[in-house]
Amino acid sequence: MGFVKAQKTRAYFKRFQVPFKRRREGKTDYRARIRLINQDKNKYNTPKYRFVVRISNKDITAQIVSANIAGDMVLASAYSHELPRYGLEVGLTNYAAAYCTGLLLGRRVLKMLEMDDEYQGNVEATGEDYSVEPTDTRRPFRALLDVGLIRTTTGNRVFGALKGALDAGLDIPHSEKRFAGFSKDNKQLDAEVHRKYIYGGHVAAYMRTLIEDEPEKYQSHFSEYIKRGIEADNIESLYKKVHATIRADPTAKKSEKEPPKQHKRFNLKKLTYEERKARLIERLHALNAAAGGVDSEEED
Amino acid sequence: MPAGHGVRSRTRDSFSRPFRKKGYIPLSTYLRTYKIGDYVDVKVNGAVHKGMPHKFYHGRTGRVWNVTKRAIGVEVNKQVGNRIIRKRIHVRVEHVQPSRCTEEFKLRKVKNDQLKAEAKAKGEVISTKRQPEGPKPGFMVEGATLETVTPIPYDVVNDLKGGY
Repeated sequence: MGFVKAQKTRAYFKRFQVPFKRRREGKTDYRARIRLINQDKNKYNTPKYRFVVRISNKDITAQIVSANIAGDMVLASAYSHELPRYGLEVGLTNYAAAYCTGLLLGRRVLKMLEMDDEYQGNVEATGEDYSVEPTDTRRPFRALLDVGLIRTTTGNRVFGALKGALDAGLDIPHSEKRFAGFSKDNKQLDAEVHRKYIYGGHVAAYMRTLIEDEPEKYQSHFSEYIKRGIEADNIESLYKKVHATIRADPTAKKSEKEPPKQHKRFNLKKLTYEERKARLIERLHALNAAAGGVDSEEED
Repeated sequence: MPAGHGVRSRTRDSFSRPFRKKGYIPLSTYLRTYKIGDYVDVKVNGAVHKGMPHKFYHGRTGRVWNVTKRAIGVEVNKQVGNRIIRKRIHVRVEHVQPSRCTEEFKLRKVKNDQLKAEAKAKGEVISTKRQPEGPKPGFMVEGATLETVTPIPYDVVNDLKGGY
């Protein structure tokens, strides 16, 4: 069996249309992106802001982004790895942390635009649907939620971040259908359940069941909580404190990073266009000199 | 049955997307802004069905006279009979590109202003008018050898050797 029929012929490759780079990487949904970015032409250069929430395995990123032909510009960003600065050190990717990140971003943007006194938002998180009311002087900051490629199920953490931003005072068009605690049978948001999630009540409940049923698993799973003395009962007050600290000072802190160290190069560095041209001229000079002193000509 | 003269007749090739460029259109088309008075080229994008101009306007250049939410009003010249009419059409932004027809003019304007400002500072008078390319300057022909060519006398015998 020497001859195997080729699956992908040369013809296949010649006709293959490569998708956009970010589609190949599986990072951007262009259908959604077109609809989010498209600005009315009679609004000319007015930016249209997206409230981008992306969740990784260990971090939550929330950004306010506006699109440009050269590249998207980020107005402000908040990461859940900044939350230790505000007193939250564990559970950085749960629903409550998402709420805190959204809240931090919202307050940060408002402070940046000097609107934070006007639009306080919902200071006491109750879990029920809150929309910003426009005041007389300035209209609220408007952004559109950009979830990316996640499946928008009820109770997803991106909607926790959305709730945080809404309570901070941003104007983001939304519906309460996807907040944690919305029941499909009643078609209503149970504000109590949502409030429980915002304050980490679901984590506390799990902690309690584990302590009763499987104490060893509790020790291993919540080891970081135990190390910091966080118990099922203090979780709510912990988050309340974090919210208050966030509202007090949401400004971003620039982190000083040392310049990256130089690594040893294992391959030759690529030459620039000028360097390559100069090398060519040198080689031609050398050739002509070797050929016997004919007038060397500079090749363009 | 005859071919028919519908709105999109004979557009099989002109409205089709180019080879290996089908599917989603790059987002910069949506991010460009157009102001009234800009020159734009109308080029139909077959992937977007709404707001398509008629096939006559494919490849025409016109000026923007109106800007709406998703479309642009373009004023294009069309010859109807013995006169040219300025036709106003509305086209979605996907079928429009900014025109580079005035680019050279704009650059020249800026450069001329700069040259004039410099000349004014120095106090000399310059003309920024473009001159057409004149005839090439005269030159002496170098290294030419002269070869005199004279016709050879007609030789009947040799010429008829090949055949009749």
